[in-house]
Amino acid sequence: MGSPPRQWQSPPGLSLWQAIAVLRNGTVRGPHFTWLDLSAFTLEVGVFADPMGAILAVLVCLLATAVLLFNRWYMHDDPLAGRFPWQFCGFLFAMLGVVLSDNLFLSFCCWELVGLGSYLLIGFWFDKPAAADDPDYQARKGANARGVAEATLSPAHAQLKAFVINRVGDAGFLLGIGALLCLALANGGTGNVLGFDQLATLQPAEVTFLGLSGTMLLTLAALGVFCGAIGKSAQFPLHTWLPDAMQGPTTASSIIHAATMVAAGVFLVARCLPFFPPEALTVVGCLGGITCLLAAVIACVQWDLKAVLAYSTISQLGLMFVGLGAGTAAGGQAAALAHLFTHALFKCLLFLGAGAVIHACHGHQDLHRLGGLRKAMPVTAMTSLLAVLAIAGVPLFSGFYSKDAVLAAALLHAQTNGGLAWAPLLLAAAGSLLTAGYMLRWWLRIFALRARQSGITDHAHDPEGAAKWVLMLLATGTLALPFTAGDWLDHALLAPHDEHHHAAHSTAMVLALGLLAVGAATAWWIWFRAPRRQQDLAGMLAQRLATLHRAAAELFWLDALQARLFGRTLGRDLAATTARLDLGSRARIERLEHDRAPAELTSLDGLIDGIGRGCAGLGAGAATAHSGRIGVYLALAALLSTAALLVLVLR
Amino acid sequence: MIGLLALTVLGPLLLAVLAWLLPGERLARHLCLLGALLTFGIGGHALLQCAAHPGAFVLQEQHPWSQAFGIGFAFGVDGIGAAMLLLSGLITAVATILAWHQQDRSRLWHALVLLLLAGMNGVFTALDLVLFYVCWEVVLLPMLLLIGIWGGEQRRYAAIKFFVYTLAGSVGMLFLIVALWANTEPAGQQIALDVTARTWLSLPADALQMTLPRGFDLRHLALQWHVWHQQTLLGVPLSTFGFWAVMLACLVKVPAVPLHTWLPHAHVQAPTAISVLLAGVLLKLGVYGLYRIAWPLFPVEAAAFAPTLGWIGVAGILWGALVALGQTDLKRLVAYSSVSHMGFCLLGLAAGTVAGATGGIVQAFTHGLSSALLFLLVGVLYDRAHHRRIDGFGGLARPMPKFAWLLLLAALAGAGLPGLAGFPGEFLVLTGAFTAGGRWPWLGLLATGSVVLSAAYLLWTQMRVAYGPLRHPEHQDFADCDARERLAAAPLVLLLLVIGIWPGPLVDVLRAPCELLLHHVQGARP
Repeated sequence: MGSPPRQWQSPPGLSLWQAIAVLRNGTVRGPHFTWLDLSAFTLEVGVFADPMGAILAVLVCLLATAVLLFNRWYMHDDPLAGRFPWQFCGFLFAMLGVVLSDNLFLSFCCWELVGLGSYLLIGFWFDKPAAADDPDYQARKGANARGVAEATLSPAHAQLKAFVINRVGDAGFLLGIGALLCLALANGGTGNVLGFDQLATLQPAEVTFLGLSGTMLLTLAALGVFCGAIGKSAQFPLHTWLPDAMQGPTTASSIIHAATMVAAGVFLVARCLPFFPPEALTVVGCLGGITCLLAAVIACVQWDLKAVLAYSTISQLGLMFVGLGAGTAAGGQAAALAHLFTHALFKCLLFLGAGAVIHACHGHQDLHRLGGLRKAMPVTAMTSLLAVLAIAGVPLFSGFYSKDAVLAAALLHAQTNGGLAWAPLLLAAAGSLLTAGYMLRWWLRIFALRARQSGITDHAHDPEGAAKWVLMLLATGTLALPFTAGDWLDHALLAPHDEHHHAAHSTAMVLALGLLAVGAATAWWIWFRAPRRQQDLAGMLAQRLATLHRAAAELFWLDALQARLFGRTLGRDLAATTARLDLGSRARIERLEHDRAPAELTSLDGLIDGIGRGCAGLGAGAATAHSGRIGVYLALAALLSTAALLVLVLR
Repeated sequence: MIGLLALTVLGPLLLAVLAWLLPGERLARHLCLLGALLTFGIGGHALLQCAAHPGAFVLQEQHPWSQAFGIGFAFGVDGIGAAMLLLSGLITAVATILAWHQQDRSRLWHALVLLLLAGMNGVFTALDLVLFYVCWEVVLLPMLLLIGIWGGEQRRYAAIKFFVYTLAGSVGMLFLIVALWANTEPAGQQIALDVTARTWLSLPADALQMTLPRGFDLRHLALQWHVWHQQTLLGVPLSTFGFWAVMLACLVKVPAVPLHTWLPHAHVQAPTAISVLLAGVLLKLGVYGLYRIAWPLFPVEAAAFAPTLGWIGVAGILWGALVALGQTDLKRLVAYSSVSHMGFCLLGLAAGTVAGATGGIVQAFTHGLSSALLFLLVGVLYDRAHHRRIDGFGGLARPMPKFAWLLLLAALAGAGLPGLAGFPGEFLVLTGAFTAGGRWPWLGLLATGSVVLSAAYLLWTQMRVAYGPLRHPEHQDFADCDARERLAAAPLVLLLLVIGIWPGPLVDVLRAPCELLLHHVQGARP
């Protein structure tokens, strides 16, 4: 580490070998071109691999290989299966672009392409009807499926929602880039001003942008970038696309939720952290904390087995942003990235397990009806259990190691800064408490006890061939050892080591273990012990906490609110109103198709037609003056001369 | 002897006469294609020349017309003109292929398309204001007839609206020409030359002064902008009248909100090939006029009006996008998306930064490609279903997969996805606005709203037309895009991808004249 970056003029390899080289020798720079030269500055494209980029790149490729192998089994009877690999690889290309890009501009481009990739994968089954219109789905699910808002969207609708909501974030990202450009130019920057190495040393400048200047402007720029991350990494309030993204194939979900799409936001913020001022970090941390808790609460009441996983992803991503919000000095960046890596592995495994269950149960994914699958699907059950233990943060598992690091960083940050800095920690702790609970519930509901409805799980069996091995291989990644051996990850990510950190780690470890014990015990009590004794503790709890339960089941009305905002207010009312003001009422437009258009003073086009009519009428009126009747001429002459006289006299 | 640029005008003109007079329908369409490819080739050649001589006018030629009035057939293109020339040839070729099986009075059709081509090329290559004006008006006539004869049910209404609207807009230019002539010094002006002037006039670096001849050469007019700035009419500088005359003509053509309502009617009624030409090239005449006439000839007024133009641009971007979101007719939707996209050209030029001005013209070029592709695809649908109602389609990706992919590509290009040609222009305009200082970032902020809105209306359309279960069982038998349709789309797709991935060469060619223009405008002090 620390040696000067090597210039390397061949395309940088993505293989493990080269990643190891990066870890040992430091940053490797790949090819670099000027994309556009705009005199004042340039927009460039180029790649480089530093340790965090190299590790994520390897992880992306590793998980992609695993998912593609698994997918051969998963889609073996799908007529569209031939489309999957190239769409998937396009998605990977874009993601690797984000990971290896050496400047914010290229990151933005690849970022958008990641959005396109997810658009294609989510809408993979483009002609599948919405669940609400699908008799087959209703037969399987029952008419009154609870808490499955996702099921009301068709894949085509879900992909649109994902893309548009991501674009909301991207608009903020663009604004951030604009602010950064403005700052960089005011600082006298030239050339590749959006390069990460130039951005890292960005200073506040006396330039006004949207009425802000100095540090405020830097904060705005940072929040702009973070806004993009809110979209891609599904943070509150733009997280709503992620649960709907499950309309895509489960294998696609497993990569979107693990190492690609959602990782992009966390990674980019980590990359840009050097220029994030403290105010921006506070926002990042607090929003992460809110997301962490909110999504965890929702996950507790979901009945769709993929929905639970989707909300758990959102919650874990929130945890990563809590880490990032703690800043580099407190070790937050390293902790968040470590959690990103460990989470990628176990979440990928969880989704592949879910895919195996759904495949084995012929499309059933309702936790009400599944159960007892551990006998029929031992490999899936065991690997999923390992992943559940990892996400819950049981010692010796990877999740424990990284979650502890995040909590320690948040704790240290809170101790140093006080005040609002405590909020992310408390929210994250509450979220972690629930994590252990809902993940255990998920596993118990699927694999433990016995099937609640006959005919669903009868022919269930484990995945075959390579798919099975993929599960087992990924399961080794749920252990802490691959990440902690020789502390290589901490070294690579430059995690700080000093007495403060050690003290914080100890406190955080106690905290994490306490949360885990309480959460897991409660889950075991409610969803394992009570059902065996024919008690419905869960139902009782739901009654006691009726308001909270309802809010969580309704997804805190955020989906409904956004559907209303985009679907009704923007898509219908506002658009219809502007269209009416522009071209006229529906009646006018209909007449336009076949008939002389009526003038209409309340619309732009109608008004202009009205002016045309007015001119024509004036012409016709003037024409009548030339009638040849002497009386008209005399009257006109009298009128005009009177007017002329009046003007002359009054002057 | 006539040169290449004169050939782009006279060639199509001659071919038009031949196509009309000679018997044989097949000959006519081949002549039409020949004219288009000729233009395309010369445009390409001119672009290469421009790359070698940044900012200068290349392929210049001068033929006397009326020496008493200093009017000449002066041709010459800088990067902007060359790119537009290329676009004009390309889009005409696409339109010709689309109308290959034109049955009804096809000789007249092709003759009119060639006449249109001659007019457009004349606008893009003219270096003389009178020639420019003549070509500008020549464009109207074939367009009027093409919509009026071959259009839809309401073709007369749409054609006349288009004609009156644009004619009313451009009639002021005639006034401008007369006024300029009446008010220039007979002996010409002795002026100092700066670097802009030297590049424009292709003069050596040691040329410091020259006497401008009296006439209508656009570059000479631009260099003596102060002459009619000092002369007044009714207490107002003459140049103010001139500026508004040109602005009105251009803003109607662009079209800028609120002067845009002729566009949806013209598009809806026009046959597919004509819609492609209209969106692909004709709208660019307006932007070109701003860059070539309004800004160089009236720099002081331009600088004063720029903030307002920026707001007009932003209004167009948002208004067009919102109205597009509310459309039920596919062609009208694409027409309003044009209004939205062309707003970026106005914002870019107005922002007065190199990035913005370059982005504006890049956007004009790439919008020509993406909107042409969109109209082409709407035409494909119309040929099969004989209607254009969005809710009358659904799930077409099954019977027509190639069509669905093409539509997705066009939609994404329109939505400004990186890697496709819609992105560089939009991004440059936004950065141009963000870095222009003052209130401009606010305009940039509002314009980013289109990032969301364009994705919403284009991909929502994609969803309603192509995805979901097949809504109308009779659409099951729709044939996918045939070879001719794919051939017409191929050059557009290719350029959308190439410019999207590697816009550097094109942007470099366009940037040089924009830099000179901004230098000229910013150096002009009243």
